[in-house]
Order: sequence, then C-alpha cells, then structure tokens
Amino acid sequence: MFRLIKDINIKFMRMTKAPLLLSSILIILSLFSISIKGFNFGIDFSSGYIVQLNFNNQVTVLQIQEKLASNGLSDSTVQLYGSSNDVLIKLKDEDIFQKTNINDQLIKIFNDEKFKILKLEYVGAQVGSELREKGEWAMLIALFSILIYVAMRFEFIYGLGAITALIHDVIITLGIFSIFDLTFDLSVLAAILAVIGYSLNDSIVVFDRIRENNIALRKMSIVDVLDKSINQTLSRTLVTSLTTLLVIISLLIFGGDAVKNFSIAMLLGIIIGTYSSIFIASASLSYFGIKRPEGN
Amino acid sequence: MHKYPTWKYILVIIVLAYAVIYSLPNFYNTYPSIIVKNYDSKDITEENLLKLSDVYSFVYKGISENNIFFDSIDDQLSAYNILTKSESYNYTLSNYNHIPKWLDLVNAQPISLGLDLKGGVHFLLQIDNENVKKSRLNKLESNLRNFLIDNGIRYNNTFSEVDKVSFKLNENSMEAEIIEILKDNFSDYKISISKTKEGQIIVAKLSDDSIKDDVKAAMQKNLTILRSRVDELGVSQPTIQRQGSDRIIVQLPGLQDSTRAKNILGSTATLEFRLTKGTPDDWVASQTIGTNTVSESVLYKRKDGSPVLLSRNVIASGKDIEGANSGFDSQTNQPAVFVNLSSVGASNMLGTTSKNIGNNMAVVFVEEDKSQVINIATIREAFSKRFQITGLDLQEAKDLSILLRSGSLSAPMKIIEERTVGPSLGSENIISGRDSMLLGMILVILFMFVYYKKFGIIANIALLANILIITATLSLFQATLTLSGIAGIVLTVGMAVDANVLIYERIREEILNGNSPNASIIAGYKKAFSTISDANITTLIAAVALLTIGTGVVKGFAVTLVIGILSSMFTAIVGTRAIVSIIYENKTNKGLSI
Repeated sequence: MFRLIKDINIKFMRMTKAPLLLSSILIILSLFSISIKGFNFGIDFSSGYIVQLNFNNQVTVLQIQEKLASNGLSDSTVQLYGSSNDVLIKLKDEDIFQKTNINDQLIKIFNDEKFKILKLEYVGAQVGSELREKGEWAMLIALFSILIYVAMRFEFIYGLGAITALIHDVIITLGIFSIFDLTFDLSVLAAILAVIGYSLNDSIVVFDRIRENNIALRKMSIVDVLDKSINQTLSRTLVTSLTTLLVIISLLIFGGDAVKNFSIAMLLGIIIGTYSSIFIASASLSYFGIKRPEGN
Repeated sequence: MHKYPTWKYILVIIVLAYAVIYSLPNFYNTYPSIIVKNYDSKDITEENLLKLSDVYSFVYKGISENNIFFDSIDDQLSAYNILTKSESYNYTLSNYNHIPKWLDLVNAQPISLGLDLKGGVHFLLQIDNENVKKSRLNKLESNLRNFLIDNGIRYNNTFSEVDKVSFKLNENSMEAEIIEILKDNFSDYKISISKTKEGQIIVAKLSDDSIKDDVKAAMQKNLTILRSRVDELGVSQPTIQRQGSDRIIVQLPGLQDSTRAKNILGSTATLEFRLTKGTPDDWVASQTIGTNTVSESVLYKRKDGSPVLLSRNVIASGKDIEGANSGFDSQTNQPAVFVNLSSVGASNMLGTTSKNIGNNMAVVFVEEDKSQVINIATIREAFSKRFQITGLDLQEAKDLSILLRSGSLSAPMKIIEERTVGPSLGSENIISGRDSMLLGMILVILFMFVYYKKFGIIANIALLANILIITATLSLFQATLTLSGIAGIVLTVGMAVDANVLIYERIREEILNGNSPNASIIAGYKKAFSTISDANITTLIAAVALLTIGTGVVKGFAVTLVIGILSSMFTAIVGTRAIVSIIYENKTNKGLSI
C-alpha cells in the first residue's frame, strides 16, 4: 500500500487560531479590494469589442495605436498576441460603430495593410449588464439550494458549515482576481460556480464522516470526533485535489488563451477549497455549536 | 463475497456498447468541404465538379457526390473565393466525413462542434421596440386624422408623444354620437376627450398589449426575412432562433468574416425610383445655398458626393419589387441588378416613363437615415415590369439583389452581441483542447496506477469508459461541444476518479482495521455509497445553477459537467464494482493490490 499519509492524528481543532487569522485577513483584504478597486471585467460584463487580427506583415503596438488614434479611437488597448503579426485590440462601444460596422472601420483604418480577423467579440451594454445580473443570480441560487439540500440530508448546522466554507472560498478567489487585476469574464464565473461544487464536495465528504463517527464513537468528545473525521478523510481529500490539480495544470499549459482565465480561477479555487474543507468547514461546525446526538 | 447480480453486469455491457457505438463517429476524419449545387437546388454531377477543379486548378483532397473536400480550411476558403467569383453555381461551406452506413442507420453522428471550435459567426439581434411603437403611432395618427376629416371635424393641430397622439379641435363641437363611433372604431386604444376653452382635445393612447402584439408580428416577419437572407449567405446548417420576446440568435458556422453577414442581416436597405428635377446647375446652386431652388424637390447626394435634386414623388419603391437577380449587363458587361416590379409598381412605372421619355430617372439606395443616389439614367423608352439597374460593383449588386428578394425588415434589428471565431483559430482551439485533455488524462492515469496498483488500473478503465460515455452522450443528443465544454470534460477527468478514491480509501481503512479482503471490498463500496451520492448531488446542484445562466461559455461547461458527474457515478459505483467482482469473487484472497 502506497500512502501519502500514514496513520496520523493531527489535532486540527486545537490549531484553529492560525487558519482563522489567515482566512480573516484574506477575506478582509479581498472585500476591501472588491469594494474599492472592483474587478477588471472582460467585455462579457462591461460591453465593448475585442478583435484579434492577423496581419500579413509584422506590426508594432505603437503603429496600431497611432492608426486607431488618428481615426478617433484613442480609448483602446492594443497588445501583440503570440507573434508580431497577431494583435489583440480592445475597444469601447463607440457611436461610430452604429453607423459603419467595426469590420468596415478596421478595413478603413488599416487600409494599406492586409489582415484577417481571427476573432471578433462584441457585447452590447444591455447584454453585458444582463449577463452580470444572471451570473449573480446563478451564484445565489447555487448557494441557497445547496444550503437547503445539505440541511435536509444532514442537519441545518451542517448546511451552515458548508455555506461558510463556500462563501470563504468564493470571496477569497474573487478577491485574488480583484487584487491582481485578472480579467473577470463569463468563463471565470463558470469556474467559480464549479469551485462552489468542488469545494462543497470536499466538505460533504468530511461532514459525512463526522455524522457517521458521531453515532458510532459515542465515548469520544465532539472535538475528538471532528479531529478523527478530518484525519480519516485527509488522504482522500489530498488525492482528489491532486488529480484535479493535475488536469487543471495541463489545461493551463495546453488549453491556450481561451481557457486561461478559467484555469487560473479553478486552480485558485481548488487550492482554497481544499484548505477550507480541512481547516474551516469543521471548525465552523464547532463554532456554530455542533452537539452529540440525543440520548448520550 | 456475494455474487454480484447478473443484471448489473448486463447493464454495464449495455452502457459500454452504447458508449462505443455512439462515440465511434468521432474517430473518423472530418474534412472542410464545399457543397456545389445548381441554382434550381438540383445536385450537380461529379464529372462537372472534376471539370470545375480542372479549370480553376485549386488544391483539393477529393470529390464525393456534390462535395469537394479539402485537407485544410485555408484550401477550402481559397477555393471558395475562386469559385464564387467565377462560376454561378450555389456554393455552401460545409464539412464532409466518411462514416460507415451502419452508423448512420443507428443515427450515430459526430459531436456537433461549437462555433469556437469550428469557426463561424454568432449574432444576437434585437428588434428596435421604439421603432415599432413609432410606426404604430404614425398609423394611429393618420387613421384618426382621416376619421376626423371624413366626419367633417376640423382640428387645429396634432402632436404625438411617447405613446399617445393628441388632436386639438377648433371648437367643442363633437357630438356624443360621433364620440361613440370614434371610440368604437378605435377600440384598440384608450381614447379620452376633454373640453377646454378653445376646443375639445382628443387623446388616443397605445395600450401595452397592442405594442406587444405589434412587436410579435414584426418579429415573426423579421424571422422569415432573416431566414431567407441567411439562406443566401452560403453556410451549411445555420441557426436562426427566436430568443425571448424581442431577440433573434443567428449562427453561421464556417464563415471566416462577419463583414458581409453584418451588412446583409441587419440591413433595412431598399430602393426608390424618382425623377430628377431641375438642371445640374440648379443642383449645385441648391447645395451651396442650402435650400432647394426648384419646387417639389428634395436634395440628394450621389455616390461621389455630388448633389442632385429629385422629385418628391416616388414612382416605385422596395415594396413594389417582386423579384431581383444579379448578373451582368449584356452590352456593357457591367454588374447589374435585374428587377421585377409588382403589377401596381409596373403600371406606375409605365405611366411615368411614357410621359417622361428623354428625362432622367434616379435610383435611390435608402437605408434608415442615409440615402444615396446610385444611378441616374435617361429614360429612352417607356418600360414597366422588368428593367435593370447598373452603377454598383459585383458584390454590391449581389447583396442588393439578396435584400430586394428577401423584402425589407418590418422593424430595424440591431446587433447587440457578436462572437466571431475564424475557422483557423477554431482548429487551434480543438488542438489545444485535445492536448490538454490527453496530458491531464495521462497524468491522472499514471498517478492512479502508482497509488492504487491493480485497483488503480480498474479506476483507469472506468475513467476511459467515462470519456467514451460523455462523448457518446454529447454525440447522441447533438449537444454542442465548445472549448469550455472540453474544459468541463477535463475537469470531470480529475473529479471522475474521486468516487473511486473514496471507495478505495474506505477499503484500505477496512483492511488496516484487520478485516478480510473480501469483507473490506464489500464494506468499502457500501460505506462510500452515501458519501459519493451526497457529494455528487451537491455538485450537480451547482452545475444546474450554471445551466440556468444559459449563455454560451457557461452552458457548454455545465452540460458536460452534468453528464460527467452522472457517468462517473455510474462507472465508479456499478462499473468498477463489476470488474472487482470478476477478479475477486468466489476466491479466498490473501491480500488486495490497492
């Protein structure tokens, strides 16, 4: 038997202070950054254009910027994309695009250069805010229905514990996106919802064992039951996190730019989710006052 | 160890057979192709296609029935460019694959790829609600005016606001009887009449329902028009779908450039035919002064920006046009649009042209606020139903004839979302999706083997079965696979082994507690079951929440996640158990390779 973790008995419940402090600091920092600085929203949520062009000749960022600016499109971001023939341009939704569409504008702007449009994304202001609203709802609905399911299958207190861990994971993941100015688009939202599902998975496995031990090991104190349950499930928690991380890392390496933001969000979420299911979920059960079953 | 029930073995075999058969079509190569048809939509013969490829010498891989297929999208598009410019067949960008007939019989098809993987254009168009309201208001105003005139009621002035029209009468003269008839005739509207010192005021207000009905009717008509326009864009399997009450989704797979699609789909362009007024000197004078020097005329601009005065009267316009085709003028060989007028338009045209031989007629290209004179020609003889318009380049002539054939949109539609991915970027996305999936799988398989030995191999078999089941299910239901869907599959690969990890860890615990191998297996599967189902159902809830957002990226991810969760539960709980039973059942096992 090859085991990552051999018969261990870590007293998790006696070392809740450090994780609590760490998590509090991270959450406060995250909330602070989210409310002051906000997010670097991709066009999905903020509206505008993203165009990826492939020029026949080599170009420089400066060249492109000058051409855009001389056509009244100074409010744009230009970056080279992979090679000096490929350019990624982000543009605001300007009025002139209503009269002449962006494709014809680009042909006019780069009239002496031959290029191909590899990618063009446009999200109108109305669609952007709708997507944002829908995303917020999906997140709330997910959290709420999970609370209800866990409360039904276990006890209400477990539901509270699971949700505490989830909110912890979501806030810190969002916070890191805000602090480091990472692009927040639809795929990141999908990743965060996936993280909700994933981190919950972890917490449920631990809770399931707590419930089982709570009935089977009647002589133990509740703190010892919590510790034993975390220890028993620890190797599973780590093995599953490891296999998931392996595929996320391969997505990050080979998945290309289209899934880059998604992979970063998943990577963060899984690390934070694993940490929280070990150090936060059960500690919060103890904090909310979990009791031994009746008649003990 | 109890005998594992036979029906579960059978179930596993059935699911495996299903997974293999329905994922099979995905292992055959798919080539980009061009379908060539005659204009009467009849299939063209293979010999004709061979001739075509000889004459224009483009690079291709093969020809099958009416399909020319290619090794790469670049070859396909360059052949498409050559062909569309030279021979007047009907070309459709498509895909071609060699799937055996028997797979067709069980309806096994390859997965339908999303636009981000095969390339193409996605538009979300929104109808202009304000415009619908405005035209309803205009209609109301003119009906009401006619009613008042017919009944000999004189009015001072009218004004229309957001959703109502008001008429101010000269005196308080309207009788109760007429008010009744008025209310009857205009029962769709909220009519209120108030008295003032100067005279009565009639206010007619649009109800929300009537606006909704108008939007609905306009949407219906626009859908039909968009369908006929999309059909002319030459892509196979386009999607045109209503979304909500006032939006339409248009998807055009395989299209490299959205420019032309944009110009055609949203266009409200139509034509007007008018006589010119005054002399070229008058035209220039009018432009410099800024007012018209000739009565009953309107100032227009030509394509080159020079001014021209046209009559206020329209001889015929887009709604009078029954058919249109593009081609070349037989004498000058210039691109031309051949127009057929309806009987009303034709008699108008005949009446005007017979009286104006020697005078000039202008063709005006009208689009929303901007109008442009595309051609001015001298009327040499009277004509009525059929005639041709020149002064456009070939592409413009083609596009204009498409617009004239489809008719004009009953209310303008605005593009509020666009996602265009070029086909070359699409195939790059497929490659990166495939590579990341392979690497992820290899890493996980290696890890599981090192960590769990023989049981690890069993879990790996389950993992591969999982991938097949997901592929088969996506293919069978023709759910669209997007890049984010691939991300969903990759994630499932990581999480799919979780159920097995849970079981195996339990079995190990049982063994470490000193239980016999067979008892440990049974206890491991049994105890892990509730954990697995609880954990997966909660993840399923999150995935379903994702589905409710229902937009491209998120939806593609959620669909594969849901299928992945369900199939991984099956392979772990039923599938691996069956293999374990085959290996360990009815034996006294000394130890387990776990």
